[in-house]
Amino acid sequence: MATTTHRAKGAKLKGSKSKDNTSLGTNHASTFQSSKTVTSSTTTTTRTSTPPPQAQASLTKTPKLNSAVYRYATWLEENQLKKTGAWIAVGIAVLVRWAVSLGPYSGFATPPRFGDYEAQRHWMELTLHRPIREWYSDNSKWWDLDYPPLTAYVSWICGYVGNMINTDWFAWKESRGFESEDAKLYMRATVLVLEILIYFSAVLVFTQRWFANKAWTRKHTALLLILLQPGLILIDNGHFQYNTVMLGLVLWAINSYLDDQDVLGSIFFCLALGFKQMALYFSPAVFGYLLGKSLKQGFFGCIWKLIKLGVTVIATLGLLFSPWLQSQEEILQVAHRIFPVFRGLYQDKVANIWCAVNVVIKLREMFDVQELVRFSTLATLLSFLPSVLYLIAKPTKRGLIYGLINSSLSFFLLSFQVHEKSILIPALPITLLILDEPAIASLFVTLATFSMFPLLRQEELTMPYYVLLAFWAWMTSSSFSSAPKFLQFVAVINLLFIAAVHIAEIAVPTPLPRYPDLYPVLNALWSAAGFVLFWLYFNYRQFATVHAPNMGLRVTKKRE
Amino acid sequence: MQTSLLVISTALKVLLFPTYHSTDFEVHRNWLAITHSLPISQWYLEKTSEWTLDYPPFFAWFEKFLAMFAAQVDPKIVQVDNLGYDTLATIYFQRITVIVSELVLYWALQRMLTVMGNRPLQKIINWSLILNPGLLMVDNMHFQYNGFLYGILVHSLVDAKQGKLLRSGILFAALLNFKHIYLYIAPSYFAFLLRAYCFENSENSIRSRSWISAFRPFNFLKLGFSVIVVFAASLGPFVALNQLPQLAGRLFPFKRGLTHSYWAANFWALYSFADRIMIVLVSKTPLGQYLNLSLDTAALSATTRGLVGDTAFGVLPTITAQHTLLLTVLLQIPSLISVFRKPSFDRFIGSVVLSAFASFLAGWHVHEKAILLVTVTMSVALANQIGASPNMGSGAGALAESKSGSTVLTPRDVRSFMIVSLAGYIGLWPLFFTRQETLTKVLITVIWFVVVGTGLDQCIPKPAKDSGFSASGRSLLRHFTTLERLYVFGCVPVQLYVNLIHELLFGQEQLAFLPLMLTSVYAAVGVVYGWLLYSATYFSPSKALEKKKTR
Repeated sequence: MATTTHRAKGAKLKGSKSKDNTSLGTNHASTFQSSKTVTSSTTTTTRTSTPPPQAQASLTKTPKLNSAVYRYATWLEENQLKKTGAWIAVGIAVLVRWAVSLGPYSGFATPPRFGDYEAQRHWMELTLHRPIREWYSDNSKWWDLDYPPLTAYVSWICGYVGNMINTDWFAWKESRGFESEDAKLYMRATVLVLEILIYFSAVLVFTQRWFANKAWTRKHTALLLILLQPGLILIDNGHFQYNTVMLGLVLWAINSYLDDQDVLGSIFFCLALGFKQMALYFSPAVFGYLLGKSLKQGFFGCIWKLIKLGVTVIATLGLLFSPWLQSQEEILQVAHRIFPVFRGLYQDKVANIWCAVNVVIKLREMFDVQELVRFSTLATLLSFLPSVLYLIAKPTKRGLIYGLINSSLSFFLLSFQVHEKSILIPALPITLLILDEPAIASLFVTLATFSMFPLLRQEELTMPYYVLLAFWAWMTSSSFSSAPKFLQFVAVINLLFIAAVHIAEIAVPTPLPRYPDLYPVLNALWSAAGFVLFWLYFNYRQFATVHAPNMGLRVTKKRE
Repeated sequence: MQTSLLVISTALKVLLFPTYHSTDFEVHRNWLAITHSLPISQWYLEKTSEWTLDYPPFFAWFEKFLAMFAAQVDPKIVQVDNLGYDTLATIYFQRITVIVSELVLYWALQRMLTVMGNRPLQKIINWSLILNPGLLMVDNMHFQYNGFLYGILVHSLVDAKQGKLLRSGILFAALLNFKHIYLYIAPSYFAFLLRAYCFENSENSIRSRSWISAFRPFNFLKLGFSVIVVFAASLGPFVALNQLPQLAGRLFPFKRGLTHSYWAANFWALYSFADRIMIVLVSKTPLGQYLNLSLDTAALSATTRGLVGDTAFGVLPTITAQHTLLLTVLLQIPSLISVFRKPSFDRFIGSVVLSAFASFLAGWHVHEKAILLVTVTMSVALANQIGASPNMGSGAGALAESKSGSTVLTPRDVRSFMIVSLAGYIGLWPLFFTRQETLTKVLITVIWFVVVGTGLDQCIPKPAKDSGFSASGRSLLRHFTTLERLYVFGCVPVQLYVNLIHELLFGQEQLAFLPLMLTSVYAAVGVVYGWLLYSATYFSPSKALEKKKTR
């Protein structure tokens, strides 16, 4: 049994090795070596419980995997179910999402304004019934369209199809606040279908490219873990949003960059920006990476590459915004809608620095909005600058992922007008490192999900929240077995704190009448402190790991 | 301990909380109220709600136990006149009781894992049963407590395997007093326990010896006394209250029709379908005149509507309760004789499966949910066979029979199990007519089919020459015949039509019976086929093997 699989793997590795020569890996020999020993150790562990010392030595280099998910992936491989396995993974991910979808959504049965669900539904109604040039200037005081054009286009398609099924769902003005089981079903289905088409496919391709010369079991483990990241499921399929479309497009951009298709990647990134402006959180890193890469190409190569990329970006964005480029007035109107600086420094209780500082110093009373915008922009700029500068100097693919993490975390912590849901943006690249930094990624996702609890509680999504968070903690618990003792300690403390807060909140809903927001504030402070530590850690990692030869996979390509 | 199984199943079950729950949810809420708020004397008389208590007394006590907690959670749950009460807290509470009670099944399966042997391979049966789409659909969506009850059944079967026959019998007697649907398999238990426990030398057939000298009166009395005590504990209070006829009337409502609200996938589904075809033939073509068939016009609108009520046939003869009883007994007898002749566990568990089949296929007013009785007992039979199989990779796979005397797993067993399960679970799909449940029910069934099919395939011992991995590609359905593959893949277009295309073509109201009929008939074909395949395995090869062995 062991010999046959080993041989099969050997053949596969040979195949990937020859591919290495042409496209990937400066030190493919070492990665080949480590993945080979990992393979042999997994096959031996299925037969005997103690792996040989050689295999153990190699396991210290690549993070050890002993989770239930990994065992399941091994089982699939043993039964030659690789192709079906991907479908089963998609099935499981869809099943979980659909089960969450059956619950309430943002603004469920809460007139007069309802919530995000109504906003999305209204945009479908708006785009369906108004001429395109009025989409951003329609002044009906009811959930103005404040997302970029791609959201509007997608809304139009969803509205068009939905309108064919039932004309009541998106009837102009009549349908405001319209709620029915079937309408909900349809809206939920649009999220799920877009997610499968854009996000699932992107994750699948990412695992193929990122773990290109690793065992299939690793790819599959990563696939399942990334697809079952709880925060995204709870917000998109529970709360109701289309974050996965934006994140999926960003991931497609990352996939393209991994494959050195920078123009294609930039198109995807612009599409992501055109779907949801929050993709800007990633833009410093993308900019730094592409600039750094261009600079490596000599003078004329650099100019040519920058022209190519510049034209791509302008063309893509121009195309997306083309209906509203007729007059300056229109452009300003769209910009004003998309960047609503007038809304305030932050919403509700967000686990970012401003909100945490605000517990002690009332910033909003001391400064006016303009000052705060300028100040927060400057702070954001300063906080992502080191990471971006380093990325320009060393534009590696691994560095790109860390750069994406650092710039998006900077934005989350320091920029103006941040939603608690925005933590999902740094959570994407961090989740992608689930097998490279297993303990850190698991911890971050846990904390990120926890930080969104106040929002989910409002919407009575607590049950799926508890289940998915606990499931995530369980699923990734084995990541800590090879982590430093300190990290294990932190993870346990974090889980204990989360559990304590939840239990206390259930047992004593309002302990101090003077502070009705005690639990959300506790949550925000704890999470903000955690996110700052993560920001420090990932900055450190960006500078420290890119050179480390044996840290997981090197996908950097060296041009001759 | 299979921690991952417990964690995954619990997580999934909790995620399924907001799925559609049927009137059975209110039924059980009402029973909580009845048992908690009323004295015993009223339990089987109370009829404020239309969902009167129609399970045996032990289940009523179980509800009374749960109601103690329910009253703590929300006293309104246990008010008899608080009909249709389903606040979020009530739903959470009742759903949680189901999950907790299903730990009994989990426990039983952990025991089975040790008792049957061959742990690494046998685990797939536990996964299959705990994450069983049938149980998930019926218990965690539709709302019932089957996992708990099947847990008791598996405990009893594991006891039988271990040779603890008295305990097995007591558990089964108790189970009967939880839910009387287990009467379906009672004949097998009766035959097995009588022969194996009350007669000597149970593993061999008694030919030369006289039956009287082999009889063990002390065991007979022990068993009889124990069973009587169990029944006395259950029924005694109601005998004392002189309510036995009332209780029996509640438990056995023979006034209901031959088929349940929509047809369970059994003989009568096929029979009713044949009748529908005949009606069309007789009324639309001159065939009726040639054959001199008359049409019972009163029956025309009865079965098609798919509602609870008397079933009438248009052309074919009417079936009465006596007919179904006779047919069921006739179908059960062969396997009972086989058990009585040689009461091995293999034969016993096979006979239990066949009894369940017979009752499901030919019984009166069978619920589609009763297919679980077939699939769960079949799973135990498979576990028994996997336990008898040599460990994978040991190279001894060619042995058709292991030292314990049990037959090993054959492709045929797997085929019949997979087809019956698929057909049976698809037969459960119409329980969920709300659109939002469609994706859920399809996904849990399909994922189960692929994963468990693969897992069982792995359990089939390979011929010695290519022990371990076969280098050539393995596919899930490689042991299936062309016809069987056709059936499996045929489910896709049929269910696409039923769940999607029909509504697009005709809307919800028009021809509403057609999708139900299609599902039932298609599923019935699968169940009947699986039954034939299983019977063939049960009756033919084991005999051939025994002959070889005796020579």
